[in-house]
Amino acid sequence: MKARKIDGLDADGTLADNAERIVLVRLDELCGFMPQAADPAEWVALHDMRIAAKRLRYILEVTGHVFGPYARSATKHTKDLQDLLGEIHDCDVQIPATAASAVRLLEADAEALVALAGNADDLDPELLRQAPHLLDHTGVAALEAHLRARRRVLFARFLEQWDVLERKGFRARLEYAVSERTA
Amino acid sequence: MAKAEDISITADEPFRLAAARIVRTRTEELVAHADGVLDTRDIERVHDMRVASRRLRAVLEIFAVCFPPSEFKGVLKDVKALADALGERRDPDVHIAALQAFGKVLTPTQRRGVTWLVAEQRELQTAGNEVLAAALQRMEERGLRERLLALADAAEGVEEEDA
Repeated sequence: MKARKIDGLDADGTLADNAERIVLVRLDELCGFMPQAADPAEWVALHDMRIAAKRLRYILEVTGHVFGPYARSATKHTKDLQDLLGEIHDCDVQIPATAASAVRLLEADAEALVALAGNADDLDPELLRQAPHLLDHTGVAALEAHLRARRRVLFARFLEQWDVLERKGFRARLEYAVSERTA
Repeated sequence: MAKAEDISITADEPFRLAAARIVRTRTEELVAHADGVLDTRDIERVHDMRVASRRLRAVLEIFAVCFPPSEFKGVLKDVKALADALGERRDPDVHIAALQAFGKVLTPTQRRGVTWLVAEQRELQTAGNEVLAAALQRMEERGLRERLLALADAAEGVEEEDA
């Protein structure tokens, strides 16, 4: 996801004024992914939201302490959100990768069985005992089941976490905090 | 994970002066983490360097307006390429650790398949290490550290000696 361009940045302006502009845009980007990303099927929106959270986190980590006190709390909330979205993303990468590995195992066994069959008119089921990956399929299938379940558990946690942020006024409080300056 | 050095900044200091100081610090952190990063027995090293590369990339993007555009574009591209190479090595490291942890809760029979997946990831790890070795060499050859420090100097308004 390409970051939105920020207008009005000035290298000779103050750090806080420039950082305020960046935070406001990055915060708006992050919040803009909801409610779309609340749909478990909208995994692209969810992963773009992760990138948006990362961008907001970095600007807050670098400049957060020049703003009002809530900016520091917001840094931690954003990091927690990004970490959780990262865990969900890992599942979304690993689920198809594990499924692809399972297919490779199946194909390797099928090829080996064809070779073992030689010129036979049909495949003798007894040959299955000689399949090279006969005992490997279970573990790979178990892993895929684990990853699919973990994704659901983490996604439910994400919805809860976002709900708490909204109820506690995350956006409005951060917008106010970046209008404040430390002495 | 390596903690980033705290950098003192103030609300009212010029954006470009903060940019210079932060880019210098994050550049030196990146370079410091390059030592031993190709050793697959200690996966934390590549993790620390990857984190340092992300922090550096982030500050380059935050302070982009402070740097000469033509030099900045090339430096950012090289930092991104290095970060990508670090990711190619890091991803299998993470998968191997996760698979090994998962394998511990399985029966020995079930574990066979997971062991097979670990072997697949080991191959990716080896390939990733080769990609990373080439990226580190490119970083040296292209003088990435010096170009980053030159960006910081430019932000601060320091003239190059031969200018």
